[in-house]
Amino acid sequence: MGEDTRDLSALLTGTKPAIENEYIRFDKLSALVIDDIGAMRHAIRSQLQALGMNQVSVTNNADEALRIVTVKSFDLILCDYNLNHASSGQHFLEHLRSEKLLSARTIFIMVTAEAEYAYVANAVEYSPDDYILKPCPEKKLRARLERQFDRRAFLMPVIDALEAKRYARAITESDRLIALQPDERWLMQTLRLKAEAQLALHDTGALFATYQQALQIRDDAPWVTMGIARAHFMARDMDAATRIAKELIAQHPNYVAAYELLAQIKTKQGDDSAALELLQASAQILPSAKRYRAISESAFLLGQLDEAKLQSEKAIRLSTGSMVERSDDYLALAQIQTDQGDARGAINTLEKNARKYVETGSFGIAKNAILAQAYYDVGATDKAKKLVERAQRLVTPQTDSAALTSLGKAAIKNGNLILGLEVMTRAIEASGAERQRVARHVTKAMQDTGQAAKIAEVIDAGQRRIMILVDEAARLMRSAHFEDAYQKVLAALAIHDENIEALLAAAQLHLLWMKQDSMNDAIVARAKGYLATLDKLVPNNERVMGFYRFFNELTGT
Amino acid sequence: MNPALSALVIHDIKNALALLEIDLEQLNHRPDMPSEAYQAYQRCIELKSRLINFLTLYRHEQSALRPNLHEVVVKEFLADLIAASQSVLMSSRQGHHVAVRIASERISIAPAVKRKGCAHFDEYLLDMALESALNNALRYAKQQVEIWFEQQPGKLCWYIADDGPGVTMATERKQRSAAAPSANTGLGLALCQAVAEIHGGGTVSVQNATTQGALFRLALHVPE
Repeated sequence: MGEDTRDLSALLTGTKPAIENEYIRFDKLSALVIDDIGAMRHAIRSQLQALGMNQVSVTNNADEALRIVTVKSFDLILCDYNLNHASSGQHFLEHLRSEKLLSARTIFIMVTAEAEYAYVANAVEYSPDDYILKPCPEKKLRARLERQFDRRAFLMPVIDALEAKRYARAITESDRLIALQPDERWLMQTLRLKAEAQLALHDTGALFATYQQALQIRDDAPWVTMGIARAHFMARDMDAATRIAKELIAQHPNYVAAYELLAQIKTKQGDDSAALELLQASAQILPSAKRYRAISESAFLLGQLDEAKLQSEKAIRLSTGSMVERSDDYLALAQIQTDQGDARGAINTLEKNARKYVETGSFGIAKNAILAQAYYDVGATDKAKKLVERAQRLVTPQTDSAALTSLGKAAIKNGNLILGLEVMTRAIEASGAERQRVARHVTKAMQDTGQAAKIAEVIDAGQRRIMILVDEAARLMRSAHFEDAYQKVLAALAIHDENIEALLAAAQLHLLWMKQDSMNDAIVARAKGYLATLDKLVPNNERVMGFYRFFNELTGT
Repeated sequence: MNPALSALVIHDIKNALALLEIDLEQLNHRPDMPSEAYQAYQRCIELKSRLINFLTLYRHEQSALRPNLHEVVVKEFLADLIAASQSVLMSSRQGHHVAVRIASERISIAPAVKRKGCAHFDEYLLDMALESALNNALRYAKQQVEIWFEQQPGKLCWYIADDGPGVTMATERKQRSAAAPSANTGLGLALCQAVAEIHGGGTVSVQNATTQGALFRLALHVPE
């Protein structure tokens, strides 16, 4: 503790020696260097080694880098902007941040050439922690790294708490750091992390207060304004959220997150065409396969098939051969082609272009189901029937909603209405956190196949079977019949093991059980398991966070 | 020669020089490194920085130089400049002991400045300009070089003072140094001028200090 305080005061007063630094132990730090030019890669590695880093990994492309960072975490990533591959350094960073693959403890530095510097340095969002202009002499590199590691050392208590999902602790640690009155930049970063914790706890009131505090220091930081807009959205004040997001776009016309928030608002308000336009604008600013996919899906649901096809092809073109390549893209394209009446095109997409993907699991089911629709359209009804049967045989409790929807559509088209409706019902049951989205797909598939009259029935039935079991479980747990309630929950989860309502009931049941049954180890372990699943499926959900607080109270952590 | 090809070739040379610099830098980490290796390293750095300065000036003359304005904490920038300065490193290695210090007591920030100690400027270009000015000061200094800044609303002035012979006979330093084989003061001053211009106009001067030595001053317009 004594030593910590000394380090901290040295940090705060800026009295650290300019060159030699006592508290940054470079030999303890690991780094990943990504550069497509061998000489540059080795040069940077040598420089890092000269600084004392002995755990330096290198790679020449983003795909390999992605594989590496998913199994090992690094203190530092030095990434070249121009990777001469399907993925640039900016794509890589965006992917890491949007998929939450980058821990706050990892410092990401973009290495750029002069010509690219302007583009990198002006990225408002998905910005790296720092950027260096290459080539960078060793002393300069050291100075930049020391700044970054100083900052990280200061913020570490908060980062640690956030990573452990101990949000309340993250907030008290933030407050402790704020009380030390660090310089403005560190203070802003601390407030940013504090807001992150409050966001996770869905504490909108406290969140607004934190943003206000940040505004008093800086009234021009886009993340603060964006945070306020998001907090309004969370508090369901759509007018305020819309107004602020629009102001933000007026100031930063390239702020993609603001467009995406507006699109979310429009979707919530049922204005899907407006949402589509906003998504289109965001993809124009920062093209990515993920954005093209979102536009394609949105256009598809609106029946704008030409646009859906165009965007779907863009997603495939941009992602082929890169880390974000997905077999689902071919399914989406083939379904669009089928709906357009281009059955031959759909068959070509699935049988030729997507032949490299193994025909298993949900992909195999959807592939056979879409082929069944296409072959039906070209008059090969026997082949179509066989394909439906083949798809049906592959169905398991883990089959995803998209595959079930495709199968349902194929079955109805082939005249098997009973199977079709049953599978559509299961698609709804399996929809989990994606319920609204799946319901829209099911609705469209049923409209397309002339079953509009049965939509409400199917959507209700899917949810109803699980809800009946969940209700029974809730009744039983209230009367402290925990074992019986557990059986009901298990039955609900057997229908679909990622149903959110069922999982919430399971978590709640186990928390009450823990409270009554003085902490039976098996029950504690199961409670923990359900909470972890929920946290993965619906990150930062209000109820789940409440359960976590309760769980921590009960276990005293 | 076609200009696009020339640009490609010159960038290629610049990158090759930079890699050579890193190679030599690594070589110099060896305990048994001969003094020639150090000289080679030094020559390489000078050559590279001269080439980069020249390219930057060239781009300015083609009206292609644009600043990337970013908010910079001025004191941090200054500390990094000195910590990472190749000129400072070189002069300390040459056995010619010139101390470079941040003259904290001379740093001043006007009360009317809204965001005290922070300013928007292109840190890479400014680093390049000040490095060349620092290099020049170190070449003439006897014992000490001091560097500091003054911040006023919309304006940031940088000062570098040395305790050398000063500017003699009312000539500019660039003339005085024209004879020195490795000196590129003329290029350096022109670069500083270019950096000031693209920041929306500013001034560069070198004059005799009130006591002794020369005083370099670079005044930049910075948006509030």
